[in-house]
Amino acid sequence: MQTYLHEKHIGLKAKMVDFAGWNMPVQYSSILDEHKNVRENVGVFDVSHMGEVFVIGKDAEEYLNKIVPQDISKLSDGKAVYCQLTNYKGGIIDDLIIYKLKNTTYLIICNASRVDEDINWMALNQKGYDINLDNQSHNLSLIAVQGPKSIDLMHKLGYTADQNSFTIIESNLLNIPMYISRTGYTGEDGFELLVINEYVEYLWDKILETGKEFNIKPVGLGARDTLRLEAAMPLYGNELDETTTPVEAGLSWSIPKDKFGNCNGKKVIMEQIENGVSKKLIGLKMLDKSIARHEYEVYYQGEKVGIVTSGGVSPMLNANIAMAYVNNVKEICTGSIVQVMIRERLHDAEVVKLPFINKKNKVTRRK
Amino acid sequence: MSITEKILCSKTHEYLLEENNEYTIGLTDYAIEQLGDIVFIELPEIGTEYKKGETFATIESVKAASEIYMPVSGKILEINEEIADSPEILNEDCYEKGWLVKIEKTGDDSELADLLEYEDYKEEIE
Repeated sequence: MQTYLHEKHIGLKAKMVDFAGWNMPVQYSSILDEHKNVRENVGVFDVSHMGEVFVIGKDAEEYLNKIVPQDISKLSDGKAVYCQLTNYKGGIIDDLIIYKLKNTTYLIICNASRVDEDINWMALNQKGYDINLDNQSHNLSLIAVQGPKSIDLMHKLGYTADQNSFTIIESNLLNIPMYISRTGYTGEDGFELLVINEYVEYLWDKILETGKEFNIKPVGLGARDTLRLEAAMPLYGNELDETTTPVEAGLSWSIPKDKFGNCNGKKVIMEQIENGVSKKLIGLKMLDKSIARHEYEVYYQGEKVGIVTSGGVSPMLNANIAMAYVNNVKEICTGSIVQVMIRERLHDAEVVKLPFINKKNKVTRRK
Repeated sequence: MSITEKILCSKTHEYLLEENNEYTIGLTDYAIEQLGDIVFIELPEIGTEYKKGETFATIESVKAASEIYMPVSGKILEINEEIADSPEILNEDCYEKGWLVKIEKTGDDSELADLLEYEDYKEEIE
């Protein structure tokens, strides 16, 4: 499959790869340059491969409380929340952002690789609820504008709203009907713009043209991955899968402990919150130049204690970093030295706090 | 004569350069282009012997680790210490400065049969 920006990517000489059935740009110039530019200036991403599902109807709030460990009733119009779609055992089918658009209308943005599973699961859970599931993934395009200068670029494009983090508004920016949200997957201040496919090429061109004075660059999936790794944001298939619960994935912060409804997997999730879990997600910084990658083994004092979920380069820290699941023992904590098996040799790594980089007060509001 | 006119290339994108009976191995510009930003390279120990087709080094781009294979059998005589320290050199110049190892060729010339001249290699991969 191709997004409506495919021709644009080819024109920009992007290197294209297959991702979840989509032919997507992995890089335009250099992953390292694109990464740094998002941290220092602003980058634009085509993330139209992602799924968009509308949940509409009288019982929408109740239904959503059933499928995610979250208190949807606390969302007012225009607010968004990060959460996980869980199975009966608390395992993660996907991680989502749910946006409350208005009254009984919600928008779910989900992973491209999981749209089909999500839809099947959501339909399976629909019985008894007065709602409609409307999968608009193939009619909508999504552009992310991310970086410290994204706010300046948006103002230049005519954006005048004053939005907090994790909010969404309807807008007519550039006379295009769209949703604008203050969300992203980079750890930077940023925006995501959701439009119908027919408008996306015009919007993309306008963003790149207007963004010139802010040193904008298009950014591919390669830098999207290194950016989210530095920000320690989980990636489905790496940190998250159907056998891992949100508690095990270190996502308890996203669950309102005593306030979520009777969702799928609640028993397991509550039990784990109370009694703890056997594995935990940690951050690693390699102490030499080697690079830990997905599925490499982690050792502590000669024993295998876990597995790397994501690993690579941190362009900002000038070090190689990784996230790993290890046995939840107190000896393995911040400052501990563990080893990662890389091509049959053990390489030292220090356990470090997540996220690897942390931008404080990242959402810039109007002054 | 430019360097690409003197090299032989494998289908796994290594090149072999022979000059005055000295053999140098590296990666083709096509390989580097495909890999993107090179961030780490693991080179073999001097003196190690490898057969044709064996993995003798690993190169890491931002995206992934890739193995590098011997285009011919040989013994490692010299490794390029400079690229071990600054792997980004490979992105700038994979022939003059960004070579990987120098070897003593230990196999016979029949091992050269499946290596391609640069122009033929380019045609093959396109």
